[in-house]
Amino acid sequence: MLELFSLGDTGWGDEILRGLLVTAQLAVTTLPVGILLGFFAAFASLSRFVPLRALGVGYTTIMRGLPEILTLFVVYNGVGLLLNSLVQWLSPEAGSIDFSPFAAGVIALGMVFGAFAGEVLRGAFNALDRGQIEAGRAIGMTNSQVFWRISLPQVWRFALPGLGNLWINLLKDTALVSVIALDDLMRMTKVAVGVTKQPFTFYLLACLIYWVLSVLSELVLAAMERRANRGVRRA
Amino acid sequence: MNPMDVIVTYWPRLIDGALMTIRLTLLGAFIAALVSPWLALVRVNTATFIQAPIRVYVSFMRGTPLLAQLFLIFYGSGQFRPELEQWGLWDFFRDPFNCAVLAFALNSTAYQTEILRGGILGVPRGEIEAARAVGMTPIQVLRRVVAPHAYRIAWPALGNEVILLMKASALASIVTVFDLMGRTRQVFSRTFDFSVYLWAALIYLCITATFVLLWRFAERRLSPHLSAADSTAAARLAELEARP
Amino acid sequence: MTTTDCVLEAIEIRKTFGPFEVLKGVSLEARNHDVISILGSSGSGKSTFLRCLNFLETPTSGSVSLHGQEVEVRNGKPANPRQIEALRRRLGMVFQQFNLWTHRTVLENVMEGPVHVKKEPKAEAREKAEAFLQRVGLAGKTNAYPSQLSGGQQQRVAIARALAMEPDVILFDEPTSALDPELVDEVLKVMQSLAAEGRTMIVVTHEMGFARQVSSETVFLHEGRIVEQGPPDEMFSHPKTEVFERFIAKVK
Ligand SMILES: Nc1ncnc2c1ncn2[C@@H]1O[C@H](COP(=O)(O)OP(=O)(O)OP(=O)(O)O)[C@@H](O)[C@H]1O
Ligand SMILES: [Mg+2]
Repeated sequence: MLELFSLGDTGWGDEILRGLLVTAQLAVTTLPVGILLGFFAAFASLSRFVPLRALGVGYTTIMRGLPEILTLFVVYNGVGLLLNSLVQWLSPEAGSIDFSPFAAGVIALGMVFGAFAGEVLRGAFNALDRGQIEAGRAIGMTNSQVFWRISLPQVWRFALPGLGNLWINLLKDTALVSVIALDDLMRMTKVAVGVTKQPFTFYLLACLIYWVLSVLSELVLAAMERRANRGVRRA
Repeated sequence: MNPMDVIVTYWPRLIDGALMTIRLTLLGAFIAALVSPWLALVRVNTATFIQAPIRVYVSFMRGTPLLAQLFLIFYGSGQFRPELEQWGLWDFFRDPFNCAVLAFALNSTAYQTEILRGGILGVPRGEIEAARAVGMTPIQVLRRVVAPHAYRIAWPALGNEVILLMKASALASIVTVFDLMGRTRQVFSRTFDFSVYLWAALIYLCITATFVLLWRFAERRLSPHLSAADSTAAARLAELEARP
Repeated sequence: MTTTDCVLEAIEIRKTFGPFEVLKGVSLEARNHDVISILGSSGSGKSTFLRCLNFLETPTSGSVSLHGQEVEVRNGKPANPRQIEALRRRLGMVFQQFNLWTHRTVLENVMEGPVHVKKEPKAEAREKAEAFLQRVGLAGKTNAYPSQLSGGQQQRVAIARALAMEPDVILFDEPTSALDPELVDEVLKVMQSLAAEGRTMIVVTHEMGFARQVSSETVFLHEGRIVEQGPPDEMFSHPKTEVFERFIAKVK
C-alpha cells in the first residue's frame, strides 16, 4: 500500500509532490496579483469620481456573483481567442498559439480574489478612525505619510482576517485549474487514479494534502492576527 | 459572430441548464438545512469530546476543495463498487447528479452548521433566562426563543451560503451533469462562439439577483420588529463565523 | 508696536457648512505666553474655529497667520499644501477623543512626529520623548499600547505627543470632556503646569475653574460670533451680555 505513495518509478509520491509544487506556485503567484487588484477595486469603489466608482462597484459585484470556474473558462478561452486573432492579424502565416493555463489561472483566480479583497479592503478603509488620521495631519504629516504610516497599518489589521479567509479559498480554488489541464496537485492525482484504478485512495490523499495546507494556513494566519493586534484589546 | 445568434439558437439548452443549476443548489442547500441545526446544537451544548467529530468534519469540509470532495464521492465510490452493489447503493453512486447533490449537501452542512452556531451564540442570555423564568421547558425555550432568534441572526449569512453554493454547483458540470455551466461548455465546444460564456454569466447574475431579492423579502417578512440597522449588525455577527 | 510678540493671528474667520454659517467672522490674536480659553455652549462653533486655525477645516474666508506669515487660501482651498504642513508642525493639537494611534506604543506615538515629520535622529527623538512622557507623569508606560491606558493617561500621552513637536502654540479641543470625572484633574494639572511654564495655549473648554484660574484671556463664542472677550476675572464677575450671564449661571 505505502509503495503506491513512494517516490521514484514505482510510486506516485514524486508526481503528486510535483503537482503540489505547481499548486503552491499558482497560489503564491496569484496572491500579490489579487491583493493589488483588491486595492484598485477598493480605491475605485471609494472614489468620489462617479465613473470610477461605478467601475469598482461593478467589478466587485459581478465578479463575486459568477462561478469561479466560469471566470476561469472565460479567461482561458476568451484570452486564448483574443491572442490568436491578434497573432493572425499580425502575421497570417503563424500557426495558432496556446495560452498558458498557468497564466490563465493566475489571471482568473487573481480577478476573483481581487473582487472579494476589494470588498474586504473597502470595509477596512471605512472602519478607519477619522480622528487618528486627523491627529496625523495635525502634526504636519503629508497625505502620503498619513496613508503609509497611519491608514495602511490599520487597514492591514482590519483586513487581515478577511484576506486570510480569501487566501484559503484561493488555495482551494487552485484545484479548478486542473480542469484546463494545468498539472497541479488535483490533476496529478487524476493521472495517478487513471493508472492505479484506486480513485478513493488517491482523491482522499489529495483532500488530506489540501486540508493540511488549509490548517497550516489557519495557524499562520492566527499568529499574524495576534501580531497585528498587539496592544489592541479584543472586543 | 453576432452574440444574438447563439442565444436565439441555444436558449432552450441554457434555460434547461439553469433549471438544473437551481435544482442542484436547492436540493443541496435543503438537505444541509435539515441536518445542520442538529449539528449546531451539539456544537454549542455538549462536551468537547462529543463535539470533536463535528469539528473535524467541518474543518475538513472547509479546508478542502469542493471539486476534490466531489471527485472523492463520484470517482472514489468506484473503488468500492462490489460492496456498494451488494448493498444496492451502486445505482445511486453511478449517477453524477446524485453524487453532486450529496457532495453539495455534505459541504453546505459544514458551513451552515458554523453559521447556525454563530446564530445560537448570538441569542442574548437574558432572553433565554426570561423564558426559563416564565417556566418554559428546555424544549420550549429552544423552539420558542432560541430557534427563532438564532435563525433571525443567521438569515443573511445563510442566504450568502446558498448563493455561494449556487456558484459552486457549476462544478457539477465537470462530472458531466448538464447544469448551466455544462450546457454552456457544450454549446461552446460546438460553436466556438465565445459569447455563450457571457450569456451564461448574465444568467448566473440574474439567478443571484433574484435570489437576493427573494431572501431580503423573506427577511422582512420574518422580522418586522427589527430595523435595518439591527439586521446588518446581526448579519455581521453571524458572518464572523462563516465564509468571507 | 507690540505686533512682534503676536504668535498666531486669525482674522475674520468665516465657515459655512452647506447653507449653514457656523462662524460669522471670528478674529483672535494669541501672543507669546497667552493662555486663551474659548467658552460657549454646544454648537456655537468652538471646535470649528479651533480646527480652522490649523486647517483641519479650511475657512470659507478670513486669514490665519503664524509669526506674521499668512497662509494663503485661494478659492476656498489652501494654495499650497506644503504651507499647511509647515503651519501644523508649529501648532500642536490635543483632541477631545485623544486620537492616539492605536497601532503604536506610547513611546512610538510621541516619537512619530519628531522622527517622521521633523526628521530628527531617532536616538535624540527617543530621549526627548521619554523626557516629555516623564513631564506628563507617564515615564513608566512607554511600551504600553494606548488601549492599555485609562482615558486620563491617554490624554496625557496625547499632550506629550503635541509637546514633542515643540510647537509655538498648542490647541486643545475640550481635552477633558471625554474623561470620567475622577480623571479630569490629572489632565488639568498637566495643562496648568504647561501654562505656568509660559507656553502659548488656546483651549476650548467647559471647565470654568480652569478658564478662570489659569487663562490669561477668555473668549465667549455664541452662534458663530465672539460676544465677550477679556481677562477672566473681569468677564466672570461683570458679564456684559445677557447670553454670557445665562451661560455662567447654567454651567454653575
Ligand atoms: N463637518 C461638518 N459638516 C456640517 N456641519 C458641521 C460640521 N462640523 C460642524 N458642523 C456644525 O457646526 C456647528 C458648530 O459645531 P462645533 O463642533 O464647532 O460646535 P462646538 O461649539 O464645538 O460644540 P460642542 O461643545 O458640542 O463641541 C454645529 O451645529 C455642527 O452641527
Ligand atoms: Mg466641539
